[in-house]
Amino acid sequence: MAYLQVRDVSKSFQSGNTAREVLKAVNLSVDEGQFVSIVGFTGSGKTTLINILAGLLTPDSGTVEIAGDVVRGIPPKAAVVFQNYSLLPWFSALENIRLAVDAAFPDWDRAKQVAQATKYLETVGLGGAGNRRPSQLSGGMRQRVAIARAFATEPTLLFLDEPFSALDALTRANLQQELARLCSEVGRPVTTVMITNNLDEALLLSDQIIPMTRGPRATLSTPIAVNIPRPRTESQLLHDAAAVRIRAKIVEFLADFVHTVPRGSSAQAKPNPLTRRALTEKPIMEEQG
Amino acid sequence: MRSRFASILLPLCGVFLVGLIWAAVSTQVPDLPSPLRTWSESKVYVLEPLEKRGEMDQGIVLLASYSLWRVAKGFLLGVVLGTPLGFLLGLSKTFHRMFDPIVQVLRPISPLAWLPLGLVVFQKSEPAALFTIALCSMWPTVINTMSGVRSIPQEYWNVARVLRLSRIQTFSKVLVPATLPYMFTGYRLSLGIAWLVIVASEMLTGTPGVGGFLWQEYNSLIYAHILLCIITIGVVGYLLDRMMGYVELRLQRSN
Repeated sequence: MAYLQVRDVSKSFQSGNTAREVLKAVNLSVDEGQFVSIVGFTGSGKTTLINILAGLLTPDSGTVEIAGDVVRGIPPKAAVVFQNYSLLPWFSALENIRLAVDAAFPDWDRAKQVAQATKYLETVGLGGAGNRRPSQLSGGMRQRVAIARAFATEPTLLFLDEPFSALDALTRANLQQELARLCSEVGRPVTTVMITNNLDEALLLSDQIIPMTRGPRATLSTPIAVNIPRPRTESQLLHDAAAVRIRAKIVEFLADFVHTVPRGSSAQAKPNPLTRRALTEKPIMEEQG
Repeated sequence: MRSRFASILLPLCGVFLVGLIWAAVSTQVPDLPSPLRTWSESKVYVLEPLEKRGEMDQGIVLLASYSLWRVAKGFLLGVVLGTPLGFLLGLSKTFHRMFDPIVQVLRPISPLAWLPLGLVVFQKSEPAALFTIALCSMWPTVINTMSGVRSIPQEYWNVARVLRLSRIQTFSKVLVPATLPYMFTGYRLSLGIAWLVIVASEMLTGTPGVGGFLWQEYNSLIYAHILLCIITIGVVGYLLDRMMGYVELRLQRSN
């Protein structure tokens, strides 16, 4: 049985008198310890989906089940890494992590909590930066702290909302490898759902990649298994036959949705998606003009 | 050298020029003492600032300290009432809908209007003065705390929720630190108003302090002392504002 099971989740947002249906009948099942990436266009409802999984939003209909139990609100033993780091600026890096540890393990004494926070800060290579405030850290370092904070709570479920999209390419590649290492080293199954618009990132980290159709009324399409042995490297994935095949499959799938531009837009899409790693909507639209 | 000139000498030039205008006006208005006469008639209060000769006849620092002590009590009362009120208004939509109109109506009421009510309710001048100071000075604290709470980014609330922080943790680790700079802006403005109100309340209640002294000397026709009080009030108010401004700046830097 799947560890994380999403059944028929739909969500609309009311703006004025019109309701915008963002998600329509989303189904997802992730086995324990699996790493699943959901790829899709910017603005297709990916963040809405991860917010529902993380319990920050309530679906209009449908359920989220974890280990067979229907979850309402924030699921226990789950951690979230946000795109914008979301560290508390008035605390040091270490204290940000310790606060999460304190909330997850309230019966631990302070020294044990600090030890746990320090351990995970060292794991992401920031052992010396514990006393620094987030404003004194670079974007990459902040996201490392956020990842350390997530792992320090010893989650069984991890939700990543475009965790690397605000970082430069080099930092991003480093952090992706770091995340892959953390997931494999942690010594217990961590079921992970990552939202991304970066296909290479998804290929590097995932067991399964699920393309998301374009919103409104976005839904998930058939999962594509990534049967490439780990550890994977970015350069290996450029030439690996399986990776090339998967990439082509997903790009084709998503490109179909580019051709069927929503009604009202007269644009004739003629994208060349293979040259576009990031599946952002905007550059493609620019070509039409 | 140039910056020292600008920061010390230029303000002194400004003081001197205003003094000249004052002196010029005083030659035309018979009852307005000139700067020199003001000094010669007031210097005993300034040069013996801690001398106590009678209930009102005291050194200027003593008089100012009575006023400051009263302001401190009234201001603290205002902060103690205003801060939680601000949090409630910022956190609860229902509470905001219920009480925001009342806050907006009470806010512009002058201390001169509250004071008689305070005297009626408390029967004594001291609690009436504190009541007036608290009631007039609390609004910037209320409004700033409220808008501070309301402008907390959604991401901080999300963090508090996904980390499953307890209510107490959310309050002390997220809500208060995020609101603190706004709260202190409110406190600074509130303290300024408290200091404005003190003069009016002392005048009306005749209690010893800068305002009470000012009113007594007006009635005794010693106009030089009115000017002494005005200058004292201004200087003390300025120092209070700078002090709070410093604290506020430190808080904003640390965030």
